[in-house]
Amino acid sequence: MNKIEAKKVNVFYGDKQALFDINMDIPERQVTALIGPSGCGKSTFLRCLNRMNDVIEICKVEGEIKINDYDINQKSTDVVRLREKIGMVFQKPNPFPKTLYENISYGPEIHGMAQSKDELDQIVEDSLKKAALWNEVKDRLHEPGTGLSGGQQQRLCIARAISVKPEVILMDEPCSALDPIATAQIEELIDELKKEHTIVIVTHSMSQAARVSQQTGFFHLGKLIEVGSTDKIFKNPNQQQTQDYITGRFG
Amino acid sequence: MTEKPHTVKSYEEQLQQLTNNLVIMGGNCETALGNSIKALCNNDNTIADTVINNDTVIDNFESQIEQEVVDLIALRQPMAIDLRETVTALKISSDLERIGDLAKNISKRTKLINNNLPYNLTQSIERVGAIVQKQLKLVLDSYTNRSPEIALDVWEKDEEVDNLTNLCMEEVIKYLKSGNENIEYGSHLLFVTKNIERIGDHVTNIAEQIYFLVKGSYLEGDRPKGSQPIVNGEK
Ligand SMILES: Nc1ncnc2c1ncn2[C@@H]1O[C@H](COP(=O)(O)OP(=O)(O)OP(=O)(O)O)[C@@H](O)[C@H]1O
Ligand SMILES: [Mg+2]
Repeated sequence: MNKIEAKKVNVFYGDKQALFDINMDIPERQVTALIGPSGCGKSTFLRCLNRMNDVIEICKVEGEIKINDYDINQKSTDVVRLREKIGMVFQKPNPFPKTLYENISYGPEIHGMAQSKDELDQIVEDSLKKAALWNEVKDRLHEPGTGLSGGQQQRLCIARAISVKPEVILMDEPCSALDPIATAQIEELIDELKKEHTIVIVTHSMSQAARVSQQTGFFHLGKLIEVGSTDKIFKNPNQQQTQDYITGRFG
Repeated sequence: MTEKPHTVKSYEEQLQQLTNNLVIMGGNCETALGNSIKALCNNDNTIADTVINNDTVIDNFESQIEQEVVDLIALRQPMAIDLRETVTALKISSDLERIGDLAKNISKRTKLINNNLPYNLTQSIERVGAIVQKQLKLVLDSYTNRSPEIALDVWEKDEEVDNLTNLCMEEVIKYLKSGNENIEYGSHLLFVTKNIERIGDHVTNIAEQIYFLVKGSYLEGDRPKGSQPIVNGEK
């Protein structure tokens, strides 16, 4: 089943067009990877999926983005609720300048997800466990989140994103600053998370896309050149451009 | 190759090197097969010795190619067409190595046969040897030209090879039956015929690999099958 359906999506920054007629279905509880050269529009497309482009003043989005069959670009959409359902993890870990505990509890608190301190504690623990960080930080929950290593901070941000039980998690190059071990931990986490969440990940690592995703979309110059099963894309893509890119024959 | 070159030149060179080695290895196998048939039919032990001695060259190519494939996979993580190039090179080289071994085996048997064989027999072996040689040449052409069409032709012709080997087998059995003094040489010739047929099978494997290399999908359907082999000399 499709969790997200994008139809004829066009995005402009001022009068410069960044995405052209993107049509893409994103299946539920799977990992979809977005790949393509720098500046091709991956992040722009990702931001369309939870209306993060709204915060960029010159950015204009046209077309239809349906999540659970509901067009999120409608005026009546409650953007805060939307971003609660569609969480996001960025390239650079961005913990709040607060304690580890508060980093996680913040979302569930403002969304009124916990009735008691105990419940909140539980959510924090569960989120950290799911993000494979609990064991490393359980004794220092009240220290600042910024005191963690880069890989730990990234897992903290993932824990924060999943604490509000989003249906979809968007990740923009989540491992670009991580060592191979932290990367493997995040990839393992993604595998785990896809049992309950739909994941869209932007990555510059072909091998990461091949490892973690079931579907891959290749973008070039603002166009979606090819989308298909990851297996097909990396073994025998339909488009020459896709093959040139993934095999390192570009430009 | 129709692909654009890689941005990283050394990667491009590594893949090219792999292809080149495979082509040269294939050339060595063609020579070995041709010489092994020639040595047998002319009872020429000198040529047979060349085949036997040159087999190490073919073996070395196989190890070399295996090493290159492992390096490519470990260091370059090839994708798509490059992955298929790499993996098929490994498989093709092992088929070629077997072809080399079988040709060597024909030559070893040749050395155990000390007088001239009846003309109809050598003619029969030469005929099937020639078609297998042609198949091998074509399949190597299809590799060099990345031509799935030629590969498919080769694949389909395997039936003809099987039919000719069966005919040849019948000739050998007639020879065996014609006198007790023929049993020793006759048995060698049975193996020789079988070897030629197996070389044909390896050629067919290679054709399948080349098809996959270019198309990214496998040849569909069963292998073409020739007439049933005869058992105990009876049809
Ligand atoms: N805030 C912005 N203002 C103006 N133009 C922008 C803005 N963000 C992106 N763009 C332009 O839109 C195009 C797509 O950018 P985007 O960030 O989506 O690319 P990307 O595929 O994510 O690249 P990268 O791999 O480098 O992150 C680029 O030409 C970029 O210059
Ligand atoms: Mg980006």
